[in-house]
Amino acid sequence: MKYQRVSGDAVEYEVFARKTRVEPLHQVGSVVAPDDDLAMAYARATYDEERWCEMAIVRKDDVIRLWSPGEA
Amino acid sequence: MSLSDLVLSLADNKQMLGLRYAEWATRAPSLEADIAAAAMGLDDLGHSRVLYGCLEPLGVDPRGPERESDPASLRNLAYFDDPWTEWSQFVAANAILDTAFTVMIEACVGGSVDVLQQRLRKMLLEERYHFLHGRSWLRSGIDTEPLLRAWREAIEWFGPPDGESAKLHREGKLSLGPAELRARLEERLEMKAPPVTSDWKGWDPIRRRARPGSIDAHTFGMLRGLEEKKYAPPTAKQAAPRA
Repeated sequence: MKYQRVSGDAVEYEVFARKTRVEPLHQVGSVVAPDDDLAMAYARATYDEERWCEMAIVRKDDVIRLWSPGEA
Repeated sequence: MSLSDLVLSLADNKQMLGLRYAEWATRAPSLEADIAAAAMGLDDLGHSRVLYGCLEPLGVDPRGPERESDPASLRNLAYFDDPWTEWSQFVAANAILDTAFTVMIEACVGGSVDVLQQRLRKMLLEERYHFLHGRSWLRSGIDTEPLLRAWREAIEWFGPPDGESAKLHREGKLSLGPAELRARLEERLEMKAPPVTSDWKGWDPIRRRARPGSIDAHTFGMLRGLEEKKYAPPTAKQAAPRA
């Protein structure tokens, strides 16, 4: 989904994190930003309340969807 | 000026930067930027606490009683004297001044003083996100005036070429001197500093600034706890007697 912002198109990023090495990364939320740098800063600021051992962001557009709800 | 004076200047500036960031927690251009302003404000206030805590182990605490009554005794840059009215001022401080403080912290961590090597290292991890935030907003374009002012104050804050911070560098207490600090700041921001001709004769080596002035009365009152007193419940003595 594209967000129109005054500065141009902003991109939605999914935010993934985990608290321990033994658990898989799971989605903790999303942020909207015009570039990767700002998305990293926003993800860290927004979701850093817990003690994650790893955090990663992925552009939502880069996710290759096999099927969506209702299509299986 | 001693290393303690420099650390106190860093602490006072981090405290004011944190407070000015926090003032924008509901005024930034987007909700995400609001949250980033709040988070960065908390980070920098936390960094200032760590830096104040380094003064005793350094052996000299330059804080005197005048800090309780005279706002001009605080060692903040003139850039933080008044609340920012424009987002461009926030971005220039975030990109230029916050990064200038980070570069100085790098010089402390790379220097020979144990307490600074050990206690300041974690700040650099948190500052990475401040830098990404500031640089990205800077690239989107901001007004020239706050940008030039931030550059000038950053370069002046590093100190004169033959001043005390250069001496601390020669002694190994800082891994970078004024020229190297400026070069690293330029390298980090991928831009050249504008031409700055500083009048070092009028520069205050304790407050590390050329301009006179001090923080606004409200902010000073808040730091001192005077603002809080306005909302304190009346004591039994002050309360009106019940009929």
